[in-house]
Amino acid sequence: MLSTRPNLARDISIAAVALIVLLLLPYVWPSRMMNDLVIRVSAFALFATSLNLLVGYTGMVSFGHGMFFGFGAYAFGLSMQRLGVSIPTAILITIVSSALLGLVVGAISIRLKDIYFSFITLAFQMLLYSTVIAWVPLTGGDQGLMGGIPRPPFLGIDLSIESHRYAFAVTIMVVGLLILRQIVESPFGYTLRMIRDNTERATFLGINVFRAKLTAFVIAGVFGSLGGMVMALFVSGAYPEFVNWTMSGEGIFMIMLGGLSTFIGPAAGALILSLLNDVITRGTEHHGLFLGAVILLFALGLRKGVTDFIADWFRTRREASTRSGN
Amino acid sequence: MLEVKGLFKSFGGVAAISDVNIDFPTGSLTAIIGPNGAGKSTFFNLISGGLIPDKGSVTFNGESLIGRSRAQIIDAGIGRAFQVARIFPTLTVEESLLGAVTAHRRRAQNITHRFPLPEMRDRTHEVAEMLGLVEKLGVTSANLSHGDQKLLDIALALVLDPKVLLLDEPTAGMGPDERWRMIERVHELWEREKLTLIFIEHDMDIVFKIAPKISVLCYGRLLAEGTPDEIRTNPAVIEAYLGTSHAEAAV
Amino acid sequence: MNLAALMDCLTSASCLVTQTTSGLIIGMLLFLVAAGLTLIFGVLKVVNFTHGSFYMLGAYLAYTVNGLTDSYVLAVLAAATGVGIFALIFERFFMSKVYGSNVLMQLLVCYAFILILDDAVKIIWGPEFKSMGMATAFQKPPLFIAGGIVPVFYLFLIIVTLVISAALYLVITRTRFGTVVRAAAVNPSMVSALGINTGLVYSGVFVLGGMLAGLAGGLAAPVRSLTAGMGFSILIESFIVTVIGGMGSIAGALLGSVLIGLVRSFGSIGFPLFVEGLMFLLMAVILILKPSGLLGKEG
Repeated sequence: MLSTRPNLARDISIAAVALIVLLLLPYVWPSRMMNDLVIRVSAFALFATSLNLLVGYTGMVSFGHGMFFGFGAYAFGLSMQRLGVSIPTAILITIVSSALLGLVVGAISIRLKDIYFSFITLAFQMLLYSTVIAWVPLTGGDQGLMGGIPRPPFLGIDLSIESHRYAFAVTIMVVGLLILRQIVESPFGYTLRMIRDNTERATFLGINVFRAKLTAFVIAGVFGSLGGMVMALFVSGAYPEFVNWTMSGEGIFMIMLGGLSTFIGPAAGALILSLLNDVITRGTEHHGLFLGAVILLFALGLRKGVTDFIADWFRTRREASTRSGN
Repeated sequence: MLEVKGLFKSFGGVAAISDVNIDFPTGSLTAIIGPNGAGKSTFFNLISGGLIPDKGSVTFNGESLIGRSRAQIIDAGIGRAFQVARIFPTLTVEESLLGAVTAHRRRAQNITHRFPLPEMRDRTHEVAEMLGLVEKLGVTSANLSHGDQKLLDIALALVLDPKVLLLDEPTAGMGPDERWRMIERVHELWEREKLTLIFIEHDMDIVFKIAPKISVLCYGRLLAEGTPDEIRTNPAVIEAYLGTSHAEAAV
Repeated sequence: MNLAALMDCLTSASCLVTQTTSGLIIGMLLFLVAAGLTLIFGVLKVVNFTHGSFYMLGAYLAYTVNGLTDSYVLAVLAAATGVGIFALIFERFFMSKVYGSNVLMQLLVCYAFILILDDAVKIIWGPEFKSMGMATAFQKPPLFIAGGIVPVFYLFLIIVTLVISAALYLVITRTRFGTVVRAAAVNPSMVSALGINTGLVYSGVFVLGGMLAGLAGGLAAPVRSLTAGMGFSILIESFIVTVIGGMGSIAGALLGSVLIGLVRSFGSIGFPLFVEGLMFLLMAVILILKPSGLLGKEG
């Protein structure tokens, strides 16, 4: 019932605890590999959770969300390399420019329904990919942005230091997820669920579906690009793979793997897929063969995300207890 | 008053509604009947902004509704429910109603507060009580019985504070007992909320019993209008409509 | 960007002939792949993301059989048959398990197969580029048409793909299978209502689509370098084609294929680095103007 609905204070507490745990992790368990994993997962968690705002909450199956991940990485990297601005300014440029990109691509794509929406988002992504490959003087083409991204200190934070970079990445991730959490639990979040469940009925309630979908698309784009930005900071560059279709494919696998019916599912999926990728990469040269087999096992066997199973388990238990209570 | 004048709508050259004129005085209760394919649902769609008429006018209290968006038509006070209940399957009854009120009060885009906004609760609970859905507030809509889904559909229209309520076959797909319960509820609603209520109905017993005024549509035209007694004895209606096997079964 | 070169080409008969021929080849091969994709979508409402891998598999099978038998004809036939069998297995044991699920599950199954097949190709045939070589029958001096160079093999390819397209047209319009396929595309519930075994129809459509893709791969093998990523690029192009032409419409696929073929061949002169971009741009523009594609049904 509504009285047990998660409120903002509870979510902030959970986020604070998660942030503290993540910040303490390197002291408890100092490991370069662990730090790298957490930073990468932070980037992907933002990417996957923002994608789920579209797929899971609004029912807009975007095949082109990788466009924002890549765009964020390049926008940030180029701002730092070419404009010589401070990091906060570059972040602002990344946010504003990806919002504009989302606005333009969204305004065109949202008019198309179902699978056509999926395709045109993929088309826009591949258009960006082609541009990145072709515009060698700006992007470095298929070599990617070379020469490293300058990381001048700001406000006492020096991102060229590994521990600072780590803290910065997890903070952006936790704060980003907290904001997304607020959005999906807001009246707007419920507007999106109504559109997902029954778009036609939503319009007969006076909901401006186009406007709501466009807002969701822009928000998702901005947070997806923040994921790309974290990644660019981590690898100190930007590569065409970030804009390639496989990025979108992995994003969709992340949300399916983790479960798209819970808020934290996509982030969990990001963690699982990253671990999986590491294990596979370390254990075999045949990355695609094994990852493919895992995906098949998932799609034909489990068919539900990890957090879906947990949520179901809790639900059955609760229902069982109410029944026995009666 | 809701006035419909010279309304035309055709699909691919076939007239679905042609030259329909009906007045619905404020506070009236009108049943719309007619054989399948008579254009009843099209008529509702034309009034509620689901379709745009080819010709003719729909005015509510002197203001034209033609060419207005669905949102504007709702704001003007026209609400509707559907023949097949159109609900939000994964949301609970309460969430659905709260969401509808939120949209109606222009807070659908709000991201800074938590859902639901406290001021939305009163209207939600009022309507739930009116339609007997209070017990079901926590139930996920997909798990509701067919009848309760129809009630929720009506409730979704009702939380938007309509002055005119269009109900497309509120009793469709229900057993005889359930039908009467439903129609009693609708009748009660009409009296209590002082609505202008227009409903499409196939069950002649129900229509003749509760509707003070009946409009008969046939092949997109308005065949007759009048009280139950006038309609019952109207030769054109008898020939075109009551002569069908459907009516025989009902009478 | 090199607009001057493009203008030069458009005003020169020889360049026009050369580029149009190569555009037609690209387009017709693409059509064989896209026709299968659009057929499968039309009947099953399933987007087969593995379709590009079918094409790749066809090319590699042809490569191997050609190496063993030194017969191009056998190689192409083997490609079609082999991929047809593979498509049957893929449909029966994997895809059919997720027909009822949401599109994301279908996408994942296909995604898995793309990864697996790309890797399998690398394991079996090696990661380096392979080249099959031209059959001796086609090692002849090229024809000159209006000053443009047209290799004999190109002419052969255009004729063969046209014949296959005509055969496909006959299958779709004149056979019982074709009638069922057309009916299913319009109204899926009608097919099961008629008492037709839908499972069989679905498998049939997959096999037909697979054979066409395998055929395209085999036919193209002599003029393409074979590599593990070749499936995805043709998949993306076939998507563009089906979307431009209208999903489910075979005539639309033909129109879209030729259009894309020409965009590719002429675009490579005017915008050498942005050919892919041009195609996506074309698709975006058409989707905006006519969301259901050039020959697609509305709604």
